Amino acid sequence: MARYIEKVTRFYKIIKENGGIMGSVRQLFWTDELKTGTLVGVDEDGNKYYQNNMYFMGRSRWVQYSPKYGFDYDGSQVPPEWHRWLSYISDEPPTVAKLPKRPWMAKHTENPSGTPDEYVPYSTTRPKIEAWQPPVQK
Amino acid sequence: MAGRAIQQGVKQVKPILSTNHAEAKRRVLNLYKAWYRHVPYVVKDFDVPITVKQGREKLRELFMKNKHVTDIRTIDLLVIKGQMDLVETAGIWKQRPHIMMYFQDTVNPRPPGFLEKFYEGHDP
Amino acid sequence: MLRLWPLRQAVSAAGLRLMPVACNKSTAAQPAPELVEVFVNDKQVFVEPGTTVLQACAAAGVEIPRFCYHDRLSIAGNCRMCLVEVERSPKPVASCAMPVMKGMKVKTDSPMTKKAREGVMEFLLMNHPLDCPICDQGGECDLQDQSMNFGSDRSRFTDNAFAGKRAVEDKNVGPLIKTIMTRCIHCTRCIRFASEVAGVEDLGTTGRGNEMQVGTYVEKMFKSELSGNIIDLCPVGALTSKPYAFTTRPWETRKIESIDVMDALGSNIVVSMRTNEVMRILPRMNEEVNEEWISDKTRFAYDGLKRQRLTTPFVKNQDGQLVQCDWETAFMAIVQRLGSVEGNQIGAVAGGLVDAEALTALKDLLNRLGCENLCTEESFPMDGAGTDLRSNYLLNSTIAGVEEADVLLLVGTNPRFEAPVFNARIRKSWIHNDLRVALLGAPVDLTYEYDHLGDSTAELQELASGSHPFSKVLQSAKRPMVVVGSSALQRSDGAALLSTVSTLANGLHTKSGADKEWRVLNVLQRVASQAAALDLGYKAGVSAILETKPQVLYLLGADEGAVDREDLPEDAFIIYQGHHGDLGAQMADVILPGAAYTEKDGTYVNTEGRAQLTRQAVTPPGMARNDWKIIRALSELLGTTLPFDKLQGLRQRMGEISPTLVRVGRAEQANFFQQAVKAEKSGGVVLSKDPLIPPQQTLKDFYMTDSISRASPTMAKCVQAATEAETAKY
Repeated sequence: MARYIEKVTRFYKIIKENGGIMGSVRQLFWTDELKTGTLVGVDEDGNKYYQNNMYFMGRSRWVQYSPKYGFDYDGSQVPPEWHRWLSYISDEPPTVAKLPKRPWMAKHTENPSGTPDEYVPYSTTRPKIEAWQPPVQK
Repeated sequence: MAGRAIQQGVKQVKPILSTNHAEAKRRVLNLYKAWYRHVPYVVKDFDVPITVKQGREKLRELFMKNKHVTDIRTIDLLVIKGQMDLVETAGIWKQRPHIMMYFQDTVNPRPPGFLEKFYEGHDP
Repeated sequence: MLRLWPLRQAVSAAGLRLMPVACNKSTAAQPAPELVEVFVNDKQVFVEPGTTVLQACAAAGVEIPRFCYHDRLSIAGNCRMCLVEVERSPKPVASCAMPVMKGMKVKTDSPMTKKAREGVMEFLLMNHPLDCPICDQGGECDLQDQSMNFGSDRSRFTDNAFAGKRAVEDKNVGPLIKTIMTRCIHCTRCIRFASEVAGVEDLGTTGRGNEMQVGTYVEKMFKSELSGNIIDLCPVGALTSKPYAFTTRPWETRKIESIDVMDALGSNIVVSMRTNEVMRILPRMNEEVNEEWISDKTRFAYDGLKRQRLTTPFVKNQDGQLVQCDWETAFMAIVQRLGSVEGNQIGAVAGGLVDAEALTALKDLLNRLGCENLCTEESFPMDGAGTDLRSNYLLNSTIAGVEEADVLLLVGTNPRFEAPVFNARIRKSWIHNDLRVALLGAPVDLTYEYDHLGDSTAELQELASGSHPFSKVLQSAKRPMVVVGSSALQRSDGAALLSTVSTLANGLHTKSGADKEWRVLNVLQRVASQAAALDLGYKAGVSAILETKPQVLYLLGADEGAVDREDLPEDAFIIYQGHHGDLGAQMADVILPGAAYTEKDGTYVNTEGRAQLTRQAVTPPGMARNDWKIIRALSELLGTTLPFDKLQGLRQRMGEISPTLVRVGRAEQANFFQQAVKAEKSGGVVLSKDPLIPPQQTLKDFYMTDSISRASPTMAKCVQAATEAETAKY
């Protein structure tokens, strides 16, 4: 009996943590999931990282993308230091085990494929025909 | 009676499948029905961005393209080709672009005049 | 050292007839020679006496392998590949050098012949590197083919001492020919070509036996305008093309038979194409035009087709800067200006590389707009009969006709650089037919001996009146020929010059008693389009333009700068249509990119009046279009649509104007020489005292003469090398 009570209690807790009934519906629509866990940290972009070891490994750490992305969230928006924690490469989150900041490290950017900023390879072969350039008038 | 037999004898050629128009028509309708029933599976199997309704409209259009054909032998041949096409489609021996070839919406028609061809490319 | 000269002795010693039968027409009718009966593999053939065994075998349909033998060169007989067994002969016989004898029984498939061939091949391969995979001749190598067909499948050669194969240092013979002398099999074809056809005694052999080397004795450039032909002659990969090195294999290319436009001869060529790029140009056999030779400019200027090209239309903006645009914009700019101008305020100048189709289309268009000011850039005297009679501006006795002539007078021309292949013909006739050549003009090296009659026009007048010492020779000639260079006719007294020459020629014709078909007067044109343009009724020379000062000038490939912006009114509007950004494009207000000769099906009429077709090998680059199509499209926008939109329709129109333009491959004979002389009224113009100096005198003047060769890096290297060679020690 106590088992069922616990489940119902957890259900109410999840609903509450996700912002009541309306908030839970919105969260469900947004991420297809309702979970409960402890907030481990927030990165520069506002992504929130949660952990709950009650869930099986693989589902026990997750990210709640920043609301600024809307429905346009994508795995490459997770910065590398959080990525290593999120994929169980390290046990400690970057909030605890701070990573050294080297001068050559670039700022993390998300994958621009499919956007106007995407990388397009260019031809390295010499053109077969060299076109004439009109002389510049002074 | 005799004259008609001679006339027939002269005009008659070896039939491919059908001996008269009614039979040919029956074959055409059978083929049409078979295709019609298969269109939903085509949409599903090939995952083409086409609705079943659009597919059936295209099917009707392709059949109506040959409605002027009256020669029984020609009709029979067209039916045979249609059946072969259906077998190839049903067996998924084709790929998606082969299905999309029926819907050539992106193909530009060749320009008619000299000037348009000139602007278009090298070999009008 | 191997001496193969003088050729005439070698020929008579071997008792050969190198000359084609047609060349001997001039002599009196000979009694039909008795044919000799020869048996080739027991097959009976009848050949003329003096034929070689190799030729007799060819007549019987048996191809004998050979390296040193070549139809157009003297016989060396040193490669020994053509050994065959002849019955009752103790040893195998070199068939290329052995004349046939009555009842000779030749066996080309006998064990003895086979053994001889395999032995020769074994020796050849013993010292030939096995570098076929990196050799440029691979795939078109005679040694490769013949070792497969006639060689043994194994060799007794083992390099027991690991001494290595024979190796020879490579020679540097200029920017065109790459030498890998280790591959040389000493067939001496290149040496014979240089001394016999090209007339340059630059190549020879040094050393004997294993030490023998082919080369230039000292390191120097192979100074010939026909040097590229030794690449084709070389049966192995010892002499290959430097610009073409390591680019393509022959089986990768598509070959398109076409016509050359670098000079007015219209040499027949094969354009090798791969991936929409011209890879190389080779000669094509045409006995009536170029035999099988082409000049270096023809062969190597193709890389000029890839540089300095016009790929998009250009229009001048407010700042006077040419900017790229699309066809509509360019056409609209032209239509706006042409619409506000009277027909007589339009002028057109056609350049030297334009095809007859574009010339026809442009003339039809401008005539419809009421303009008659269509000129060619190359000038020609228009007084008297001028260009009205075809006989006045053609090489009437044809290129092959030189072989029938006995005295040739060259006036103010240097055929060696104006028409190198024609010069090779003259040289051939000089060697084999005892042609006597005289030159009036600046003394230049023509590669053969000639009587220099002086370089002033006074001598010409003396010749015409018959008071010159050489007149005796000319007047006793049975088949005289007078060739006047078109460059000499560019002078201000060109009309008087032409009338003097044609009077002289007509006098010679009556004196010589040659039949009516024989032509004496010949004009050697320099540019490919001239004959067609004059056939179509273009005015020769830009004097009409300079007089009328038109508001709108249409330059059709005119790049030689005959008309300058200073010659035109302030607000003149210049349209340039062509394929290269050269002088014409620089002064234009609108540029329309056209197609070069490898990029279109075009008709070119050569200097003998022979219409020949170029074939499209590659597509015009970028937005460039076929020239006649540009004019046709423009006509539609101008509201005077030309009545053809297919090439066939245009050719039909050309046939209406002049049937000679569509009779492809035939040199139509021009007549009315007497009438031309009668119409010649050179009143007013008198011969000036200036000496007759052709513009191209030395080899360095030869390479860059038109917009294609000016854009070619290879030709630039040639000019540099030729200039350096002038001051070189050797």
